[in-house]
Amino acid sequence: MTILSTSTGAFFDRARSDITSLRAQAEKLQSQIGSQSRLTRSSDDPVAASRLRNLARTDALSKIDTSNARRATADLNLADSTMSDIANTVSQAKVLAAQAATGTITSEQRAAIGRQMAALHDTIVGLANTRDSTGNALFGGENATSAYTLNASGDAVYSGTARTGDLPLGDGQAVTRSMTGPEFLNFSVNGQPTDLMATIKSLADALQGGVPDPAAAARGALDALSSGLDAVTTGQTVIGTRLAWLDFTSERRTNMDEARAAEEADVGGIDLANSIASLQEMMVVLEASQASFTKLSQLSLFNKLG
Amino acid sequence: MSADMLAIARSGTRAARAALDVTAQNIANASSEGYVRRSVQLSEVSASSGIGGAGSTTLAGVRISGIARNADVFRQAEVRRTGGDAARASTEVQGLENIEAAVEQSGVYKASVAFEGSLQQLLSDPTDGALRASVMESGRTLASTLNVTVASLDAAGKGLRFEAQDGVDQVNLLTGELARVNARLGRATEASATQSTLLDQRDTLLQKLSGQVDITTTFAADRTVEVRIGGATGPTLLSGQTSATMAMATATDGTVSFTLDGAAVTPASGALAGRSQALEQLADTRDKIDTIAAGIISAVNGAQTSGVDLQGAPGAPLFSGTNASTIALATNDGSKIATAPAGTGPQSRDAGNLAVLRGALGAANPSGGLDAVLFDVSSAVAGRTVTRDALASIADSASIALQTQAGVDLDQEAVNLIRFQQAFSASGRVMQVANDLFDTILGIR
Repeated sequence: MTILSTSTGAFFDRARSDITSLRAQAEKLQSQIGSQSRLTRSSDDPVAASRLRNLARTDALSKIDTSNARRATADLNLADSTMSDIANTVSQAKVLAAQAATGTITSEQRAAIGRQMAALHDTIVGLANTRDSTGNALFGGENATSAYTLNASGDAVYSGTARTGDLPLGDGQAVTRSMTGPEFLNFSVNGQPTDLMATIKSLADALQGGVPDPAAAARGALDALSSGLDAVTTGQTVIGTRLAWLDFTSERRTNMDEARAAEEADVGGIDLANSIASLQEMMVVLEASQASFTKLSQLSLFNKLG
Repeated sequence: MSADMLAIARSGTRAARAALDVTAQNIANASSEGYVRRSVQLSEVSASSGIGGAGSTTLAGVRISGIARNADVFRQAEVRRTGGDAARASTEVQGLENIEAAVEQSGVYKASVAFEGSLQQLLSDPTDGALRASVMESGRTLASTLNVTVASLDAAGKGLRFEAQDGVDQVNLLTGELARVNARLGRATEASATQSTLLDQRDTLLQKLSGQVDITTTFAADRTVEVRIGGATGPTLLSGQTSATMAMATATDGTVSFTLDGAAVTPASGALAGRSQALEQLADTRDKIDTIAAGIISAVNGAQTSGVDLQGAPGAPLFSGTNASTIALATNDGSKIATAPAGTGPQSRDAGNLAVLRGALGAANPSGGLDAVLFDVSSAVAGRTVTRDALASIADSASIALQTQAGVDLDQEAVNLIRFQQAFSASGRVMQVANDLFDTILGIR
């Protein structure tokens, strides 16, 4: 305002509006510094505020992706170690089968090996029924309870669903959090589909006198056991690949988080040095205005009359 | 002759006294609202003597020809016009800020994101009771923040309508006052102190009136005013002592309309125009939020019907109500969320229907909608704030320009005080001289 005042009322009005506006600006700067945020309400900068809202939303959803990814990692690690245990058990079964296949041992010894083999079968069924971090069947697909149940004749029967659920990892990426039992326990021998537990169970039955020539059955089972071991280690490789994928996506998520945080600071944050300097400048101007107002308002001709 | 001198000096003292009175009045009213600086108009009293005495003039001193009121009609009209614009912009921004606060501070956007997030979290284990409970709780939060949002919007609307009604009452009151001032102005003597006071009153009333509605004024020769709403052809609010009555009607959506003696009238500026515009924006915002709430309800309830809940029973609606003020959770039981597709048994971890639910919610996009509403309102506030600041500074300049011209300058009054004091003393001195002259004549012997 550059109007030269000749009216006392106008002088006071102008001084009041000038000082009030300076004070309001200083207070705004102060609140920006205090809150470390350039915006106190959306209307300060609608575009930036909308961007900040979207970033906050992505942030919130990304946190959930992170916790989902952790859960998937835990399940996959559990699946991996369980599969290692199964592989070890199958190796033991192979050693026992090799022993049983030799003709030098007695049928009593073979029966004992058969009993050991039956115990290994139970171990594998137990391992296949492992529960995941939330207490559901790890290898049972989307089934909540056991993956395998034993039927009347003691055979393990898969009772889960055909596939395992996917967990979203954000940005449209997903990971299958485990494998179903049949995916790594089923294989085929000479074109005949079978599974690891059935192979070991029939071998155990054979060694305990179920067939006329147990040694031949043991020799025959060796190949099947090798194929079963292959199937399990293949499954482990798949799980390992998925874990690597999870690592990759979580690294990517971390990078995105950093990028978002940087953008948030860019869009909504303040430059402290800049703001403090501006505030200091505003304070100097405000003090000067107040001082000059005090001086000028005392300048009345009436003070000089006496 | 010395009698003449005495008479002249007496008129001089009287004029100086009157000028001092006016100066005192000016000083006393230096900060009175609507007071316009007065000054005394003096004129010489002289007459040429009768028929024979051509060339000789009779001097008879000074007389007060009137009290001048230093008001500039153009500047006053400017103050009214710009003040009306500024009042409109400022009340509109105020109303919009209330709307913005209602939508932003209720945290409805965050609640919507949290609801989305809780559904995403549920994917990790659809049978987990804790995750299901968290979906229900975030659903409840979303429903109640939507309720709170529209409740505060309604409260803001109620406030705006109350203020608008008050504005209408003010207009009627001010018009009535102006009619009375008009009546008294018609009887007041030209250039009298009474007339000046009435004119001050008239201008103050007009300024207040222009703060509520945009007015066009026409001044008659006797200084009475005719007021029209809008332009020079607008409906007459006041003519002489006949005033029209303004009234306000509220529509079902909360917007308001005004009538003048039954005929519809739309103020273009003034606080009434600002409130009416803010109420329109409010109705629009409320509509959008209702649509978003209805979208959430139909998306979630629609997806529920295509799945089965934790017990294997067909999904029942999760939300009840039809809009943002009636939305509520239909159940408190987290197991009622139909995450599994139809046909699956109880306790299924199949998240097929949860994906459908998330898909439907994603298509309804409540977070995006709320962001858009917030963006609309806040950019309206930001844009109107710029307009308001511009209009306010124009109005301030206009009012300071008027003040500069019509206001009291104490320094100048101090000078006047001394000047008229000296004039008074000088006239007294003239009396003294006249007395001395008279004594001189008497003293001749």
